Amino acid sequence: MKNTEHNPAEHTIVTCNLTKKYGDLCAVNRMNLTVGNEIFGILGPNGSGKTTTVLMLTTLLEPTEGTAEVCGFDVRKDPRNVRNSISYVPQDMAVDVRLTGRENVMMYAELYGVERPAEKTEEALRILELSDRADDFAKVYSGGMRRRLELAQALVHNPHVLFLDEPTVGLDVAARKKIWEHIRTLRDAGMSIFVTTHYMDEADKYCDRVAIIDRGVIKAVDTPENLKSMISQDVISVSISGEFSGITIPGVRFAFLEDDELVFYADHGDTALPLVKDALNEAGVRVKAMSVRRPSLDDVFLHLVDNAEDTSPFRLGSFRNMLGKRG
Amino acid sequence: MNPILVYCRRDLIRWFRGRWGFISAMVMPAAWLVFVGLALPIRFTDDYIDFVTPGILAMTTLSASLSGGGLLILDRMLGFFNKFLALPPPRESILFGKILVITIRGLIQSTIILCFAFLLGAQLYSPVQLLMTYLILFIFGSLLSAAATTVAIYVDDHDQYAAVNAMVSMPVFFTSSAMMPYDQMPGWLQPVAHVNPLSFAIDGIRLMQAGTVPLFQIGLLSLLCILVVGLAVHAFRKVKV
Repeated sequence: MKNTEHNPAEHTIVTCNLTKKYGDLCAVNRMNLTVGNEIFGILGPNGSGKTTTVLMLTTLLEPTEGTAEVCGFDVRKDPRNVRNSISYVPQDMAVDVRLTGRENVMMYAELYGVERPAEKTEEALRILELSDRADDFAKVYSGGMRRRLELAQALVHNPHVLFLDEPTVGLDVAARKKIWEHIRTLRDAGMSIFVTTHYMDEADKYCDRVAIIDRGVIKAVDTPENLKSMISQDVISVSISGEFSGITIPGVRFAFLEDDELVFYADHGDTALPLVKDALNEAGVRVKAMSVRRPSLDDVFLHLVDNAEDTSPFRLGSFRNMLGKRG
Repeated sequence: MNPILVYCRRDLIRWFRGRWGFISAMVMPAAWLVFVGLALPIRFTDDYIDFVTPGILAMTTLSASLSGGGLLILDRMLGFFNKFLALPPPRESILFGKILVITIRGLIQSTIILCFAFLLGAQLYSPVQLLMTYLILFIFGSLLSAAATTVAIYVDDHDQYAAVNAMVSMPVFFTSSAMMPYDQMPGWLQPVAHVNPLSFAIDGIRLMQAGTVPLFQIGLLSLLCILVVGLAVHAFRKVKV
């Protein structure tokens, strides 16, 4: 295994002011990231620049400015060595439906030029729990199995870095969980995993560190825990009727108003709850319902990101592939 | 195993297992030969089947090559192309894989045409003539499939490509020397037919039938082929997603 020599503290991905412009549109703006042996999630809405980042790091797209190194190789000057150290699974779910599971993986083993491709193929199929279905055509595989088949294709040459673009999109809950468990196993085996997603809950649960990206700009990078404590300990939502004009309570900050719901950030939610209710009543606002909860990444995201509408062109082809509606 | 062969084998297996694409490719050229060679009530030459066989061979190679560009468009639409581009082998091996598979498909179809032609009473080729026929068709097929595959990098839509392909291949066929000898053509058609690359391949095979080695045609087609493949390799190295 190549990975056993790998030092976990070492940074496998380093970007410096990485920028991609399409004409006037700045898809990725001066991105500075370092990623090591971890599950690194890049989280953002559609069209925020996640996929563009992955395409640059996998040498498919030339950066407009800035540099990026993967495993010590510059993506622009040394693309062949970058491609030798990585695997990339795009979000399209592209497996050959007229080939069997084994043939699908074997093809990649040969394209990567690994030694003993047949042996490596069996190993990858076994790790992804596809051995007993390996002789079936991929046509009869479920969405989750197709995704695992793609992971098997990616693993067959023991890459240092694995890029996954929306790995769980279009899958059911059980299949998602399974995919993430496999990703964790790979991290534990020494791999760096760079994953894009727009599912906050999955990023929260499974990523070691998360970068929040909006319109090409990294807004924050940290562990999900630290990101959540960045806004507060607790989040209080209050459903009201009446005009809200502001209240002042120590340790409670007003966050935003959405429809008839007020959101506050509080250091100690349980003790702040009655204080908030009293203060609102005094201000002449009727409280209909209240709740306290721990902040989620959704809250962090809404806190950091402007309300943006998705303006990226809709790609029907990818959408259909995501749903697995194909041949 | 060489990555070019891996890519080529993948497409061959998919073609073969796709069943209807394969069956149609086997039946179509034979149908052309029967309908054009035997059923049309025109006789531009004696032994018309001898005359028209090279035309059908070249036309089949033409349509096999042009429709072969669709392979790459589908790979791009379905996300395979991005996966392949992120792999270690040089990117032009994707191109050479496509050229190989498209040309092999064309040569398989040509073999069927030749078998039918001989069954229908065409004069048998000597082994050397057969070899030369395959050589000409291989060069011609590589030239066209390289061009088609390169165009496919830039086209976004499979239907549009198929439409343009149909619009191009039909006139190219009828303005070549496939159906009739130059001296039987209307005056306006002759100069067009003389510069049509399809005619180079057809005339080459006909000269060889008549016992001469068509050095000029082979040379010209090879030159064009080297030029187009060179441009195609350049395009594949620079490809953007």
